[in-house]
Amino acid sequence: MHLPVIFKVLSLLSAIVSLSMVLPLGWSLWDGSSDGKAFLLSISAGLIFSAVLFMAGKNADYNDIGVKDGFLVVSLSWIFASLIGALPFYISGTIPTFAGAFFESASGFTTTGASVLSDIEAVPRGILFWRSLTHWLGGMGIIVLSLAILPFLGVGGMELFKAEVPGPIPEKITPRIQQTALYLWGVYAFLTVAETVLLLLGGMNLFESLTHTFGTVATGGFSPLNRSVGQYGSAYFDWIITVFMFLSGINFVLHYRLLRGHFRPLARDDEFRTYLWIVLFCIAVISADLLFRGNYDSIAEALRYSAFQVVSIITTTGFATADFELWPSFTQLILLLLMFAGACAGSTGGGMKILRLLILSRHTRAELKRVLHPHAVISVKVGGKVIDTRIQSSVTSFLILYVAVFIAGVFFMTSLGMDMESAMSGVAASLGNVGPGLGSLGPMDNYSAVPEAGKWLFSLLMLMGRLELYTVLLLFFPGTWRK
Amino acid sequence: MNGFLVAKFLSFITGIVSLSMIWPILWAHFDGSGEVRSLVISMILGLTFSGLLFVAGRHHTDYKTVGIRDAFAVVSLSWIFASVVGALPYYIYGMAPAYTDAFFEAMSGFTTTGASILTDIEAHPKSLLFWRGLTHWIGGMGIIVLSLAILPFIGVGGVHLFKAEVPGFGLEKMTPRLHQMAIRLWGIYFGLTAAQVILLLLGGMNLFEALTHSFSTIATGGLSPLNKSIGHYNSPYIEWVTTFFMFFSGVNFVIHYRFLLRQSGAYRDDEEFRLYAFIVLFSILFTAAVLLLRGYYVTIEEAVRYSAFQVISIITSTGFCTTDYELWPVSVHFLFILLMFAGGCTGSTAGGIKSLRVLALARHVRAGLASCLHPQGQFQTKIRGKTVSQDALASVTAFFILYLVVFIAGALFMAALGVDFVTAVSSAAASIGNTGPGFGTVGPTENFFHIPAAGKWVLSLLMLLGRLELYTMILLFSPRTWKK
Repeated sequence: MHLPVIFKVLSLLSAIVSLSMVLPLGWSLWDGSSDGKAFLLSISAGLIFSAVLFMAGKNADYNDIGVKDGFLVVSLSWIFASLIGALPFYISGTIPTFAGAFFESASGFTTTGASVLSDIEAVPRGILFWRSLTHWLGGMGIIVLSLAILPFLGVGGMELFKAEVPGPIPEKITPRIQQTALYLWGVYAFLTVAETVLLLLGGMNLFESLTHTFGTVATGGFSPLNRSVGQYGSAYFDWIITVFMFLSGINFVLHYRLLRGHFRPLARDDEFRTYLWIVLFCIAVISADLLFRGNYDSIAEALRYSAFQVVSIITTTGFATADFELWPSFTQLILLLLMFAGACAGSTGGGMKILRLLILSRHTRAELKRVLHPHAVISVKVGGKVIDTRIQSSVTSFLILYVAVFIAGVFFMTSLGMDMESAMSGVAASLGNVGPGLGSLGPMDNYSAVPEAGKWLFSLLMLMGRLELYTVLLLFFPGTWRK
Repeated sequence: MNGFLVAKFLSFITGIVSLSMIWPILWAHFDGSGEVRSLVISMILGLTFSGLLFVAGRHHTDYKTVGIRDAFAVVSLSWIFASVVGALPYYIYGMAPAYTDAFFEAMSGFTTTGASILTDIEAHPKSLLFWRGLTHWIGGMGIIVLSLAILPFIGVGGVHLFKAEVPGFGLEKMTPRLHQMAIRLWGIYFGLTAAQVILLLLGGMNLFEALTHSFSTIATGGLSPLNKSIGHYNSPYIEWVTTFFMFFSGVNFVIHYRFLLRQSGAYRDDEEFRLYAFIVLFSILFTAAVLLLRGYYVTIEEAVRYSAFQVISIITSTGFCTTDYELWPVSVHFLFILLMFAGGCTGSTAGGIKSLRVLALARHVRAGLASCLHPQGQFQTKIRGKTVSQDALASVTAFFILYLVVFIAGALFMAALGVDFVTAVSSAAASIGNTGPGFGTVGPTENFFHIPAAGKWVLSLLMLLGRLELYTMILLFSPRTWKK
């Protein structure tokens, strides 16, 4: 463990987060609203904090970052970012308790999109812009962002990158980590601009286009409107956002290849194909169920609403255009399962990730074969490549951990007196970074009634989910702290 | 696949099941009150069926050639045929209005699930209720194990059959000879049953109820001849006796055997038993504390007694109840659903995932975390001091994944039939775990009668999948099994 370097990296991150508040400050100055002061205070507090950390680690060498330091830096930077990000909500008085403000901020950075605000439209635009900006910063990853803009992190950056983007199979676009980070942010920026332009063309104003785009591309889910995207009642907006949510759920490495004119990697990618099939299958089944039970009359409507909701949930965005709590329980159960599935590895989506599910299913199939042929050597392949037993066992233990954390979370929430459906869906939605759940936490409700202890737990679950468990869990593992 | 051999085995099994109807017939005769006609007709039908199968498989005599694939077919089909025959008395008498209901009740009996479609149990003839209890007892230790015990000529060929019915990983053999092992397992089983019957008789229960409740307890079944299950008696003595026997029926029978051989520390030294005991203790304390805090019970004795009974009934997948725990707090409901998944020990009569697998999964995760910190390190998973091989671990993780997948598929199917969320999820969990009652509209004081027919078939399938620990049944549906 190298404390000085940990402090130094945390100092840089806190500074980045604090400085990015300049953008919402601009909106509140433009509007002349009261929240400008809150932003000025928050920026100063964040910068002072950053300076103190910098002093503590001023002699550090970035090449010192080891495996354990990586886990520590990444977990702590997300916690610190959420702490600093919570300041404007708390100082401006938009959210009365700090637990609530932290929840909102953690929900923003982890791109969960669960909110404690009941009347969103009554909140000043600066605050709402900040809320959505946290999505955008967190979507591609705070660490990836800093790797892209701070070239001097160098070799040590690799451990940080692995701790923040721990996908089951390590994948790099280029051997140099800084360049990989730059390319990823390039793709991200491209998607953001494209969606903003398309929304503007549909007649949405600039503020709402930007905030909705941040929420979409980061697969976050915060909307500046009380009834989310459903408020427009516009098929054009629904479909544009559906498409961009879907795109944001694809591995960004594939986007990068696609932007450079290579179509084959996408068409041949096992994970992408599975993702596409799951999405299409669920849309078909849910549309059929909705038509059959009479929730909608026309096929076009059933398709539009089911496509939006399915894509919003599987990419763990959490926007809503319909109150799916009024849908049949079969459909609700499918949506709940999609919260666990999540989108592709290397995308901005949360959940367990399709690639892991693919490995798990192939692993199980191989095992069934082995029962019939006890002496055969059977390998597990994804995308034509053999997945070695080490990766298989890390994926199976990820599944077990995911289930175990989910169980512990539900146990805690039901002990606080929450009903079963809300607790199960709320924990699944937090851990999967989705946002809205079912029961009392549905798409038309919010998290304000959750007890304080529950809000802290949900915040922790969001962080665990965003960093794909290991990074945060290792903080609680005695081996990490042993010399 | 050898069709003749499969037919011949199935003929034995249906023969054994049909002949065991002699006990309820004798009971009815001795009691002088009961319904005999439906049982006699069922027995004749069953024996005819068995005869036909025997004729179909008459060319086959060599039992040593039972292969893995034959074993999957024999074991899965035996359980299905046993339920088909076992359902006849209910249907012929009219206790179950449709054959679906009768089959559900029989499957629930043989797989020791204990889910029932009967609304007013006490209104039915005792002979049929006796049969219901007996199906538990026959299925508890396993139909195949029973036939291995009474048909010594199966010999070596029985190995694959035994493994297909009792696939618990890491299950040791007690003796090298299968026939002897089956006899010993049944010996312990019989001993436990006799002990409980005597203790219940001493508590003032009549012979009929003592027998049926013991069948149900030792097999961790859960069907009771009384509407209010064990809660009917309102007697702490009977409740504690039942709690005690449920707990021990959830322990690996090999360990009971070692204990009987006077190996001191047979229980204490077993890691699986320790985990099982720990989960049970923790759950009882948690439940009792919650119940006391929320004011459900006033005295500690009552809170502990009720929570111990319910917790052990659920974790051993028995499904008896002494109170309507649906009225208890939600956190306890959730704990109970988890216990349905956990289940008892391998090699016991209990269902669920089993403690040994839970232990292996936990150790596997711990090794996974350690290898995150030390990417170059080699970490081994150990149980009972022995390293668990990569193959064994892979088979446990695959089992866990399959369990989740089958559970999810079952819950989705139930929800698609229009059943509400809690009922769909808990009925699937309770069926695959062989527990019996769930939550929602299939709670401990309710029954499964109102579930749509398609749902009853799926739940029956889930019970069988759970009882045979997935692989055997899933491979039956795999095209590879049927390839030459």
